[in-house]
Amino acid sequence: MSSDNITVHHGEEINNSTGVSNKKLLMWAFLGSDVMFFGTFIGTFMAYRNKSLNGPYPADTLDIPITTVSTFVLLMSSLGIVLALHYLKESKMGLAKLWLFAVIIMGLIFMGFQVYEFSHFAHIGMTPQVNLFGSTFFTLTSLHGAHVSLGILWLIFLLYNEFNGNLTSDNAVDLEIAGLYWHFVDIVWILIFGLLYLITAGDGVPPGGIPWEGAH
Amino acid sequence: MSFLKDLFEHDGNGWWKIPKTSEAEPNPKSEHPFGDFVKRAKGFMVWMTSGKGHAGPGYYWAIAAILGAITLVEVWWFDQEGLRYILVPAMLGFSLVKFVLVVAFFMHLRFDHKLFSYIFVTCMVIGVFIFSLFILLSAFHGYGN
Repeated sequence: MSSDNITVHHGEEINNSTGVSNKKLLMWAFLGSDVMFFGTFIGTFMAYRNKSLNGPYPADTLDIPITTVSTFVLLMSSLGIVLALHYLKESKMGLAKLWLFAVIIMGLIFMGFQVYEFSHFAHIGMTPQVNLFGSTFFTLTSLHGAHVSLGILWLIFLLYNEFNGNLTSDNAVDLEIAGLYWHFVDIVWILIFGLLYLITAGDGVPPGGIPWEGAH
Repeated sequence: MSFLKDLFEHDGNGWWKIPKTSEAEPNPKSEHPFGDFVKRAKGFMVWMTSGKGHAGPGYYWAIAAILGAITLVEVWWFDQEGLRYILVPAMLGFSLVKFVLVVAFFMHLRFDHKLFSYIFVTCMVIGVFIFSLFILLSAFHGYGN
């Protein structure tokens, strides 16, 4: 490849004919594949909606006020990471570290809500094997939770690098791609909250279903 | 566009003849019904975009406020018994708006290279197709039996 094709963007050499960062291109391609991945699981959840013939049903389990708070926390974490990236690019390292730390804390709070929700569901008898709702709900939300957990570990690694001076405005693209991943996790939750929680939370016993009498 | 330009950016002596102006200049640039609203709005946009043509902190805070407000409206809507009959399309609509806001502004797709948009939108179309296929298969499962 000739040297004419090499350009530099935020400290990263771009040596391809597309003229864009390889790291960002790879991340967008990955996010594209993840869209199809989550699209399949959300589609499966919606396809099996109201198909469980025994409880617990969504109306017996889902707690909208608690999930609203955790959704709000995740939305604000998206704001946090975009501010962390902005300040990193402007070499305002103190603010960049502060916002990145805040995002990690918000991610941990979100995971705390999910752990609480899962343990509460298990306590009242809603488990992945109990019915179709349980299977599809736990598959989708735990896969999302796994994405959030991976994102938190990634951000902790980046914060460590920031404190060591290895992450500066010169290689801000490293935080940018982590941010893209984090925002994606956020938009998947936006869809889960709207489709999985708010739409199905009112679903009770379907025709032919057996009313749920609570945990035994 | 010409009408809007005349309305908002008139240099004075226009056909509407503003009776009084607060500015002392003989031919004030902002002599129109909205005072210096346009100038202030432009200044606000420059502040929102850090003066660099792309989103800045003010912009991000504004987007976050809109996202938070939509979430509150979603929950309010969910609580309204009278609006339950259009809950599904409403939630789909709200989720779509939030989705687009995050992708376009927080993920910078609005300001970034078009190639990223093509990749993501193509995959989105396939994802939505798979999603719709599942819903249709589910809806017609057992049909005709």
